[in-house]
Amino acid sequence: MTGWHLDDDTLRRYVERTDSLAEGTSAEQHLLSCEPCRDRVNAAVGVIELSPIDFAAVWERTRDTIEVPRPSVLERLLRVAGLPAHEARLVAVASAFRGVWLTGLAAVLAFATLAAAFGHARGTWLFLAVAPVVPCLVVASSYDPRLDPALEPELVTPYPALRLILLRTIAVLVLALPVLLLLGLFIPTEEPFAWLLPAVGFVAVVLAASTWFSPLRSAIAVSSGWLAVVPLLAARSGSPEAVLQARVQAAFLALAAASFVVFLARRRRLTQLRPWR
Amino acid sequence: MATASISLRAAGRTFGATRALADVDLDLEPGVIGLLGPNGAGKTTLLRLLATALPPTQGQVRVLGLDPEVPAERTGIRRQLGYLPQEVGFPHGFTAFAFVDYIALLKEWTQPAARHAEVRRVLGLVGLSDLGSKRIRAMSGGQRRRVALAQALLGSPPVLILDEPTTGVDPEQRVTLRTLLAEIARASVVVLSTHQTEDVAALCERVIVLDRGRVRYDGPVTDLTAQAAGRVWLADEPDPAAKVSWRTGTGRYRNVGTRVRDDVEHVEPSLEDAYLLLRGGSPEHEPAGEAAS
Repeated sequence: MTGWHLDDDTLRRYVERTDSLAEGTSAEQHLLSCEPCRDRVNAAVGVIELSPIDFAAVWERTRDTIEVPRPSVLERLLRVAGLPAHEARLVAVASAFRGVWLTGLAAVLAFATLAAAFGHARGTWLFLAVAPVVPCLVVASSYDPRLDPALEPELVTPYPALRLILLRTIAVLVLALPVLLLLGLFIPTEEPFAWLLPAVGFVAVVLAASTWFSPLRSAIAVSSGWLAVVPLLAARSGSPEAVLQARVQAAFLALAAASFVVFLARRRRLTQLRPWR
Repeated sequence: MATASISLRAAGRTFGATRALADVDLDLEPGVIGLLGPNGAGKTTLLRLLATALPPTQGQVRVLGLDPEVPAERTGIRRQLGYLPQEVGFPHGFTAFAFVDYIALLKEWTQPAARHAEVRRVLGLVGLSDLGSKRIRAMSGGQRRRVALAQALLGSPPVLILDEPTTGVDPEQRVTLRTLLAEIARASVVVLSTHQTEDVAALCERVIVLDRGRVRYDGPVTDLTAQAAGRVWLADEPDPAAKVSWRTGTGRYRNVGTRVRDDVEHVEPSLEDAYLLLRGGSPEHEPAGEAAS
């Protein structure tokens, strides 16, 4: 036993259970060997009004820890990007953001990047062929009804389907474009971002075409068309710089603008909304 | 005159050249309303019309006085609606809690604490309190069905549309669900379709029988059952005079016929007898053997 005793504040925090784990353990250790302090604790318990423990709240928090799904990496990124937590969850649930699908596309893209980095013109053509179709495939899979197993109960909720589609589209673009831009830096060409406007154009075409056909079918058609055109362009011009010409880039920009206008005009005919056109 | 919670006037729905529903006139009030009918009778189409998942191609539908053709009113209906489709898929890797929580988000439960409490409440109602953190793909068919039902109960909606809610659910849970739905129906319109006539007999005050897209019967369950009085009898062999016959657990044959007979051993008719009679007695009926199979 020492001459040291718990001071009044420490004792009060101990009784009120508002001390830290370290302080509480230390106080407990001292109390085991100090009778005067134990007497003070016994006296204080009767005097200090203990705050009642809200067991219901503690139980709720415990259940939250066990049951509430932890936000995925994508969901956290979307929150950081400024999307409200509930909308980040709604966007991240899309089948487009499943690991297998994204890994597959990333592998294709990585292959194309490597080919471009080491294969010069042919590799650059390959990258130009693949890079624009990746965003449009991911966008389409983010709202294709056939990839959405819970479509029917989702359909009859008050949340606007159009808003969900656009949020998922924007999320894909916000997340995919920086990755593609980064990969573009490894391409040995004067203009590594020649694919950017084709990508935006194709995404807009997929959105517009989704008012007639299913999104994934639209994306596959657009991608197939582009993959068929690129070899022809390569054979004809030889150099990837052909895509860089101002008039070609302007054509893709016009395609994007026109497609988006069509999409807005026909937005109520999207598959998810089509029953009520 | 008070407006019915749900009303349909000459409502119909075609898919291309196929007529799934025709000339349906109904007024539905709080209570449990059972929909009976063979496969392809139009039950699911009717429920999808009521749930705003599908618009009618003819006639009009009003839910809680709102017109689903008007986008703002359609959203208004959806805010007050619980819908259990015939088949519900679940996103990959979801737990029961995560799925119901996801639908709650779409139903505008944006405040996390209130949403989580509501998700727990509805999981508790369907007897899944302890399975919230279990992955849905690891659940039995009956448990999955109850997860799907839980999402429909979010927010205690005044209109509840349930397409075969008891499919795959074990007998004990079915009884629990009947009790739950009866309680909900004190203040809400509960419309459910089923192939289980015993569910309708135990739960519904009113039954609507659909056949080939048309309403064949609409009225109290007891009145429909009464139509079979004197038309159900037991015999040692299938009776050629019966419209439908089947062998029961006692080894004797239960016969259901259209004519009232005095020279046979009558038994108390069930709703199933009356339903089979209604369908078998129709000029458009399927062969009796098919109904009995």
